[in-house]
Amino acid sequence: MNAVTLRVNDRTVSAEVEPRTHLADFLREDQLLTGTHVGCEHGVCGACTLMVDGRPVRSCLTFAASCADAEVRTIESFDEDPLMGRLRAAFSRRHALQCGFCTPGMLVTAYDIVRRLPDADEVRIREELAGNLCRCTGYAGIVEAIRDVLADPVPAAVQPIPRTGPEPRTVASGRTRADPPVAPDPASRFPDPFGAIEDGVTLGRSIPFDLPPDRLWELVKRIDAVVACLPGAKLAGPPEGDVLDGTFMVAIGPIRATFAGKAAVGFDEAARSGTVRGRGGDTRSRSSADGAMDFRVVPDGSGGSRVEVELTYRLKGPLAQFGRPAIVSGVIDRLLSDFAANFSALARGEPAAAAAPAGGIGLVLGALLARLRKTIGW
Amino acid sequence: MKPAPFDLTTARDAAEAAALTGDGSPEARIVAGGQSLGPMLNLRLARPAHLVDISRAADLRAVTDEGDRLLYGAAVTHAEIEDGAVPDATGGWLREIAGRIAYRAVRNRGTLGGSLVHADPAADWVVTLTALGAEAVVADPAGAVRVEPLATFIAGPFATTLRRGEILTGVRIAKRGPQARWGYWKFTRKVGEFAKASAAVLIDDRTGEVRLVAGAIERPPILLPDAGAVLSGTLSAEEALRRALPDRPARTLALHAVALREAIDIAAGRPHRGAA
Repeated sequence: MNAVTLRVNDRTVSAEVEPRTHLADFLREDQLLTGTHVGCEHGVCGACTLMVDGRPVRSCLTFAASCADAEVRTIESFDEDPLMGRLRAAFSRRHALQCGFCTPGMLVTAYDIVRRLPDADEVRIREELAGNLCRCTGYAGIVEAIRDVLADPVPAAVQPIPRTGPEPRTVASGRTRADPPVAPDPASRFPDPFGAIEDGVTLGRSIPFDLPPDRLWELVKRIDAVVACLPGAKLAGPPEGDVLDGTFMVAIGPIRATFAGKAAVGFDEAARSGTVRGRGGDTRSRSSADGAMDFRVVPDGSGGSRVEVELTYRLKGPLAQFGRPAIVSGVIDRLLSDFAANFSALARGEPAAAAAPAGGIGLVLGALLARLRKTIGW
Repeated sequence: MKPAPFDLTTARDAAEAAALTGDGSPEARIVAGGQSLGPMLNLRLARPAHLVDISRAADLRAVTDEGDRLLYGAAVTHAEIEDGAVPDATGGWLREIAGRIAYRAVRNRGTLGGSLVHADPAADWVVTLTALGAEAVVADPAGAVRVEPLATFIAGPFATTLRRGEILTGVRIAKRGPQARWGYWKFTRKVGEFAKASAAVLIDDRTGEVRLVAGAIERPPILLPDAGAVLSGTLSAEEALRRALPDRPARTLALHAVALREAIDIAAGRPHRGAA
């Protein structure tokens, strides 16, 4: 627990808080100030918007333990505020609320607009409101209410407080409890057969190797070797026939996910091509991935060869919003580049350099790669 | 959702933050405004054991005038740049960019350095500061400082060249004279969301710099090699982008070409308003 002292609605409050406690939860659950609403809890909906040091902030993205000596104002503290009174009346008059869930956040944002942008026109008002979602009103009444007040404002009593502030203190804390160990996902949760990947994203890549095609093809068929060259990949055991079972750890920025799953691998000797289809899940993020990969070894015309790869994937769950195709594509490029370097080293009889988890192999690729491992060479 | 448990320490300065995230704490992460890391924590996509809060580290909140350049502390917020609370090396561009990042409530906490270290390929600062030729200033726990152009500091999607224990202490931006022109254009379906395509243009007649940058691609922003030809009209925006990004589908390139043309048009009509 961290000790924190802050001002809440003109009252000095000292409390012990868990470091992970958001300001919104601290106010609602410890201070019983339930006027602050909690909606999406990842900074999108704006329902939790309140004032910290006189500026609107997302209280779901602000830790209470980081608010030492801050001046926090929730909607409850604006009862006697002339400008907020004007806004409240305008919201009522213009039918700017229905269910009322977004209203505390809307009013705080409206207060900021009137105070900071006295010349705002309707377009600007709408832009400023883009961070506050309302599912009832269609915004027309809200915009009208703010225009009313801009046309006849009163001075804002609450103004931003300079940020320099007191000397920050170190608020080290003991961890309150350990994370429970995450049980490996039973592979049976992601059973065969793998269905078609609808609405998937497809990426094509060509990876050059300084190896003759025959030699490359023989290596590619060794699934264990292939998996060993994939940063973050691990087989759960020896392949059973053409089915692989394993995990794939991916890391993108602060995100860490470990996909556990199955993959089926097939080879076509005559065409020197193969296919991998798989499915995996990451229990911690409750996300899943489907993937398919077709690959082919082709001569490059000068003694070397390349592997042409086409990947199709689909992510579901919370990770999907961070796994936009553009990012996954970049991550895959880095993965393939590390893989190619390791695989080439292996072919030369040198140890693979990268045993570390991929600094970003595709989230989606996790599943594909898991399959691949199974497929290719293990 | 609520984050998984972690420890939280407030660092007084950059040196303390670097020490706290150094060798002893492999799962530690720096947090400033927390506007990018926060959602990942709440969704439990990120589970660091230890957060080091630098949002009030005094040395990371300063802006230092170095003569022909300004050094912005990493923990300066978007809103402080938007409001002109700190000087603008470009005489207006930084303010304009800052004012269109996400939402005001996010800008009040989100920081310049946090955005760069998070390295979302679609982030406004990642793209525009690459066009400006800005430099990342990085310190390690021993106090050694290295400086790296932003164009290489951003190593990939959500990846930088920061090593363990290193922290981004600031961003160095050259002051621009009145001959400098600039433009930035991004496509979003809703105000405040991350761009689907973006482009930044810098034309500085005094220094001879001409930079066309395509952003919101799957990799760090790219500087187009044929900037002069694109500006003079001998090479179309589509063709320049196709050469630079040959693996991107045509419809994606078309959107990026729109962004590039818009940014060039803005730059053409917008002389710099003089150094701050």
